[in-house]
Amino acid sequence: MASLSVSTDIQRCLPTVFGCDGDGMKLLRGFLWLLGFQLLGHAVVELLSLPVSHAMAGLLLLLAWLLVKRRLNESVATASQALIPLLAMLIMPGVVGVFFVIDEFAGHWTAVMVALGVGTFLSVLTTLWLMLRFMPKEADSGDERGRLS
Amino acid sequence: MNELYDSLLDTPTLAVALTLAAYLGGVALFERMGRPSWCPAVLIGAVFTAASLWLLRYDFADYQRNVAWLTLLLGPATVALAVPLYQQRQHIFALWKPILCSLPLAAVLAAFYAVLIAWLLGAPPAVLASLAPKSVTAPLAMGIQEQIGGSLSLMLGGLLITGVLTTIFVSLLARLLNITDQRILGFALGVNGHAIGIVRAFELGPKAGAFASLGMSLVGVFSALFLPLAWKLFGS
Repeated sequence: MASLSVSTDIQRCLPTVFGCDGDGMKLLRGFLWLLGFQLLGHAVVELLSLPVSHAMAGLLLLLAWLLVKRRLNESVATASQALIPLLAMLIMPGVVGVFFVIDEFAGHWTAVMVALGVGTFLSVLTTLWLMLRFMPKEADSGDERGRLS
Repeated sequence: MNELYDSLLDTPTLAVALTLAAYLGGVALFERMGRPSWCPAVLIGAVFTAASLWLLRYDFADYQRNVAWLTLLLGPATVALAVPLYQQRQHIFALWKPILCSLPLAAVLAAFYAVLIAWLLGAPPAVLASLAPKSVTAPLAMGIQEQIGGSLSLMLGGLLITGVLTTIFVSLLARLLNITDQRILGFALGVNGHAIGIVRAFELGPKAGAFASLGMSLVGVFSALFLPLAWKLFGS
């Protein structure tokens, strides 16, 4: 008896859970698109033995496809909006490793720190200089100025 | 009891739950600290994760193997970055000339300065390879690291430090050089400081934020194509 009532409950839920046009379906369809492009990138990279990662090739292929089609598929947009905010969380397990490799690079921390500090200062300076040199003057420079605290 | 403990440590579920809890805890503490630009939420989360691994006597290699169930999402999430890039195509097309003049040079130099300095200070090839993608956003940098080698963890640590230093140096140099153009400041933040620079750029304004995302994506795409090639040519 009990099992019967459970199964009718499930049947009643079916239309809502497996509804065709919910956001969940859009998300899944977009996710499948992204996986498809990653697999396509994988195939292209391996076939042409390119020196880029599979996901990177997938990114470029998806970008090319969007630029050719000139229209953003709604499910791809939904899936990317859902996934991009997760990027920080997804790289965190890799960052954790830094605490476990400290011994491995024990002799090189000065080199690493000086390279990061001085290197970043120089590259920020270079970027600002290049942009000042090549950027056309902003027409509406008066209204929204960047204020740095 | 010991058996239960071992089986818990052996399931991917615990590794994933631990990671999510540490990350959410990191974000919560980050908010409480008033969103400091010198200490990103990911760093706090990573400290929490490392601390709990140590407390649980959870072997890091086992953790990495189990958490791969979660980080599998990094692939499609990287592919998803094509969408904001596509949405900003108007900016790219409108300013293609200054971008084309400054971006490749800025991207090459961002890697070159750090690698050169580390090389002069006698760092081995593994360290140089880990420092090269320092201005590239993490998911793309992880793709570069697959190609050129080096230590993934050292690279990600370098990425975090670079992002934090970029926000500090851009603020400093903007004041010294008297730059107020949001497009330039945003672009410099994105090109050098990846996602951490973007957070700072959005604090300056939406225009700076858009240019920072643009700078980050372009530098990422360019470096992902250029660095593995350069590494192959010059031999590691």
